[in-house]
Amino acid sequence: MIEARGLTKRYGSALAVDDLSFTVRPGLVTGFLGPNGAGKTTSMRLILGLDAPTAGTVTIGGRPHRHAASPMHEVGALLDARAVHGGRSARNHLLCLAQTNGIPRRRVDEVLGIVGLSDVAKKRSKGFSLGMSQRLGIAAALLGDPQVLMFDEPVNGLDPEGIVWIRTLMRSLAAEGRVVFVSSHLMSEMEHTADHLIVIGRGRLIADCGMAEFIARSPGRAVLVRTPEPDALAQAVAAAGGTVSPGSDRDLRVPDLEVSNLEVRGLTEDQVGDIAFAGGIPVHHLSAAGISLEQAFMELTAASVDYRAAQPFSQEA
Amino acid sequence: MAAVTAGPDRPRAAPVLGVGAGLAGPVRSEFTKLGSVRSTYWTLILLVLAGLAWAVANCAGEAAHWATTPPAGRVGFDPTQASIVGLALLGQLVIVVLGALTLTSEYSTGMIRTSLTVMPRRGVLYAAKAAVLVAVIGVVAAITSFAAFFTGQYLLRSTHVAATLSQPGVLRAVVATALYVVLSGLFAFGLGAIARSTAGAMAMAYGLLFLIPQLAKALPSAWYADVQRWLPSGDVVNAITRTQGGNAYPDLFSAWGEFAVFGAYTAVLLIIGALLFGRRDA
Repeated sequence: MIEARGLTKRYGSALAVDDLSFTVRPGLVTGFLGPNGAGKTTSMRLILGLDAPTAGTVTIGGRPHRHAASPMHEVGALLDARAVHGGRSARNHLLCLAQTNGIPRRRVDEVLGIVGLSDVAKKRSKGFSLGMSQRLGIAAALLGDPQVLMFDEPVNGLDPEGIVWIRTLMRSLAAEGRVVFVSSHLMSEMEHTADHLIVIGRGRLIADCGMAEFIARSPGRAVLVRTPEPDALAQAVAAAGGTVSPGSDRDLRVPDLEVSNLEVRGLTEDQVGDIAFAGGIPVHHLSAAGISLEQAFMELTAASVDYRAAQPFSQEA
Repeated sequence: MAAVTAGPDRPRAAPVLGVGAGLAGPVRSEFTKLGSVRSTYWTLILLVLAGLAWAVANCAGEAAHWATTPPAGRVGFDPTQASIVGLALLGQLVIVVLGALTLTSEYSTGMIRTSLTVMPRRGVLYAAKAAVLVAVIGVVAAITSFAAFFTGQYLLRSTHVAATLSQPGVLRAVVATALYVVLSGLFAFGLGAIARSTAGAMAMAYGLLFLIPQLAKALPSAWYADVQRWLPSGDVVNAITRTQGGNAYPDLFSAWGEFAVFGAYTAVLLIIGALLFGRRDA
């Protein structure tokens, strides 16, 4: 469990993390969301004891990481996949980390197998692709079989296969009862992985809630639907409590004037599909519009009077 | 690459608790780090070559000209110093790179953040790095110092003034030369912790070791005579490698005295480095 209480970090005159309190619980994938520069990486550095907080405390498993008895068994972290000595082979990189905590050599080969780098274990890591580097960083995080795992923007630069792999990994680590804390600036990425969200902006906590609740609180989220009977669908949707507006993006592949794009708000894509089916309305396309975190974030914060009063973030943005 | 992890039967690590609590694990780790990058080997090879090449060139040269060397030159000639002074002077130039890189390479690559995550007790990490540096440089410098001495004396055999280890001060000079190289490595290690960049540490090392002593020579000679013995300069090397000629350097301390001066500079840098390493954000 990660517990932050009043965590604050000031760099000179800039307040990177501002009175942040949250708890990251085991058995869930907790997404740590915020636009670039929101203080996600700083928070993770504070959790790991790399930076000292200006005020407040943060503990892993009940104590500050600097006082961990067996640090690699407490937490494994991937902050920056490229932060390795490129002249060192993958195996030697992991070996020198394992040795600090008295972890046996065979565990190094085990984690190399888990991340699929066994074949390149003896290669110097400077020749690795970003995807391979990410895997090496994840191998390092797994070495100590830790209770807490932290990943900073783990899917950045990964190919689709790698993205699926890392999502599956994070889900299974959480299913084993571990704490999985993963940062991202992409809402769409979190939607596929996270059970719980901690959202920050300009160093302050904006939301700490379940994924479903967060999405429900995001008025900007829309369902895109294309139908040859837009009027019928609009009526049915309105009757179910949704709001309808003309879709902004025309599909140029289907230059069919009879077909219209609609944006539905206030309902999920499942609900819209069911409504169309019940009304016998043909639907050619149905998808959840991937709203950007920035949108959700702006809307969420704009909706919060308290926050708006305290934090006029549009001024500097 | 597709092998996805982690079912319920995913192999778990053996119990890891407790084993890593002492200094042994971090020391083993630092040996692995040092031994698994090429720069270590290049600098150590360069150290050995510099020490031996000096011994060969200097002593073979002296031997070749011995017949024509005037009596005054013969009296002032110190065969021990001739064979090992190169290791101290050139070796220092080389080994400060290795000493600084021990920490600065972790900063330049970002590895330091991983190192401090897996070993957040910073004093332990710092001590382990320093200990491994001392051990590795100590072994290589000691072997090189003795090898340079014996090589030099072998080349000087035709002069009939070649030194032996049993002569007064000779063993001390050979050992002190090796220790001086070790101290030089630690000197730069401390600077690495202070500067956190290789270029910065190198600039500070060469500034302190060469530039400031050079500038001090611009002082009025009476002042310089008072200051000279306190500088971490080549005069330290002269003092510790000299075995003959009694009071050859009247303005300097004794060999071990000069050694202590350099040791004190090193200690101060190591302590400042440790304090900063413990406190600064990584």
